[in-house]
Amino acid sequence: MSEEIKVKKTAAMQEVEDKMTMLVQTGRLDNLIDVLAVVSDQIEMTTTPIVEKMVHSIDNIASAGFVTENAVRYAKRESAKNEVPSLFGMLKLLKDEETRKGLAFMLHLTKGIGKQM
Amino acid sequence: MKKKILIVGGGTAGTMTANNLANKLMPEIDRGEIEITMISDSKVHVYRPGAMYVAFHKAAGHEFIRDQRSLLMLEVDFIVDKAVEINTKANYIKGASGDRYEYDFLVLATGCQVAADRIPGLQEGGDWFYSYEGAKKLAKKFEKLKSGRVLVTVNFPKTPNIPHQCGIAPVETTMMLHDYLTEKGVRDDVEIVYSYPTKSQAVENGLFLQAPTSEVLPAIFDSIGVKHKTSFTLSKVDPDKKIAYSEEGEKMEFDILMSTPPFIASDVVRKSGLSTALEDEGWLPTDKKTLKVKGLSNVYTLGDTVDLSVSKAGGTIHNQTDVVVDNIAAELRFGYPTESYDGKVIAIAQMGLSCGMPLWYDYEEDVQPTPCSKLGSFVRLGFNKSLYWAAARGML
Ligand SMILES: Cc1cc2nc3c(=O)[nH]c(=O)nc-3n(C[C@H](O)[C@H](O)[C@H](O)COP(=O)(O)OP(=O)(O)OC[C@H]3O[C@@H](n4cnc5c(N)ncnc54)[C@H](O)[C@@H]3O)c2cc1C
Repeated sequence: MSEEIKVKKTAAMQEVEDKMTMLVQTGRLDNLIDVLAVVSDQIEMTTTPIVEKMVHSIDNIASAGFVTENAVRYAKRESAKNEVPSLFGMLKLLKDEETRKGLAFMLHLTKGIGKQM
Repeated sequence: MKKKILIVGGGTAGTMTANNLANKLMPEIDRGEIEITMISDSKVHVYRPGAMYVAFHKAAGHEFIRDQRSLLMLEVDFIVDKAVEINTKANYIKGASGDRYEYDFLVLATGCQVAADRIPGLQEGGDWFYSYEGAKKLAKKFEKLKSGRVLVTVNFPKTPNIPHQCGIAPVETTMMLHDYLTEKGVRDDVEIVYSYPTKSQAVENGLFLQAPTSEVLPAIFDSIGVKHKTSFTLSKVDPDKKIAYSEEGEKMEFDILMSTPPFIASDVVRKSGLSTALEDEGWLPTDKKTLKVKGLSNVYTLGDTVDLSVSKAGGTIHNQTDVVVDNIAAELRFGYPTESYDGKVIAIAQMGLSCGMPLWYDYEEDVQPTPCSKLGSFVRLGFNKSLYWAAARGML
């Protein structure tokens, strides 16, 4: 024999019931449960070392983006300020230590890529 | 004439503000109308919360320290020099190098420092994780700990309604300690006692500086066997006998005293004559809305050095920096500030080694404690190891 239980619903409980009813009636609830299950499984299977490695990769990408953006803005500003250099002007640019540092970096970068080809 | 913006201090507040200013004022920079300079007394940038993980062997420390120049946009001139004088009448800062740095707008962001010597015996008898050296020392002690008592104490500034650095850190580290000792298999033999002073900020005889959290903490601590004691304001430590004394006349023995020590503003700010804080603590009198130093029309401040009631935390600075930046930009462009800080603080607290609790509050609303979660812990980890640097660089 089933028992009748009276529950006094709060407005919040009624709202949840209405919204859930709508999800059941429109056939969406099963899909949502599947989605939640997948999300939950992902959280369950993820470990701190996995997150550390992912985060490290994101940090590398962000750092590379920051360095590149800085350099591009600088180059744009300098290019706008100065005329296109002559061949001799090019050599003068190469006298600058920071330019040489950057160029050497690019050459090492090229080698780094070459090593992987 | 180029307008000069000078930022003193290359920590969380100074770095975020310098980069956000450069981003905001790019058109003016391109037109050669303004220059942004930062002076800091350190070549490196320290992510301070990392020290908590060092104390529990979850990090070595180097992961949280980076070259300061690498975090600044190229539009920010960076000079390593220690500010030794602030002259707000003639608008310049003097460096230890002897150089003078003139400004049209000044941002003071020199943070705060540990002042353990303000409690007799604390320097010798106590430990804290508020610096990397301190955290490394603690880690060694925790490693050796097999039995005994860890006593947690918290001190507040004497100036009313000002928090110590990172209000939630004593709770976070108590929970982390519980997890760490459990992992090590010695938790049953180590007693953890979390104590809190009679007067915190808005709460008397509680366990936290805001009432809603203070009320839920006893149940949380009980559930993990952490003893808790209100009304214990650390006043003296006997380092030889390992006894902590309180202003209220009680004493407690300990094997390790994990303390939140007294904090004061940086020396240059304390000597500037700008502060009205008690006992030479040096907090800068700050307009809670504009974030200007009170009485000075062209000096802004944010971060740990202010005298506001909000948490001295990165999650505070992340919101304050936008107000400072927008106001300086508006002053340059329209002649008056336009933005107002609402006291918003957003953070994820590390409640134990693998549980993260999102929290937010502002001048009007206290923190509403929410359950911590594994996912929250991952987000916190992401912030510690990557998102922090992006935020410091003004990328988010
Ligand atoms: C253990 C610990 C845990 C924490 N946990 C959290 C957390 O979970 N969440 C959170 O949001 N916040 C946390 N915080 C707080 C957060 O780290 C600080 O609020 C933040 O670092 C303050 O930034 P700041 O720029 O005001 O000061 P700082 O970051 O301390 O920077 C001050 C800078 O000024 C420089 N300086 C000082 N004096 C001079 C001078 N005379 N001349 C030139 N330069 C000078 C210093 O070298 C430094 O670079 C924690 C802090 C600690 C220590």
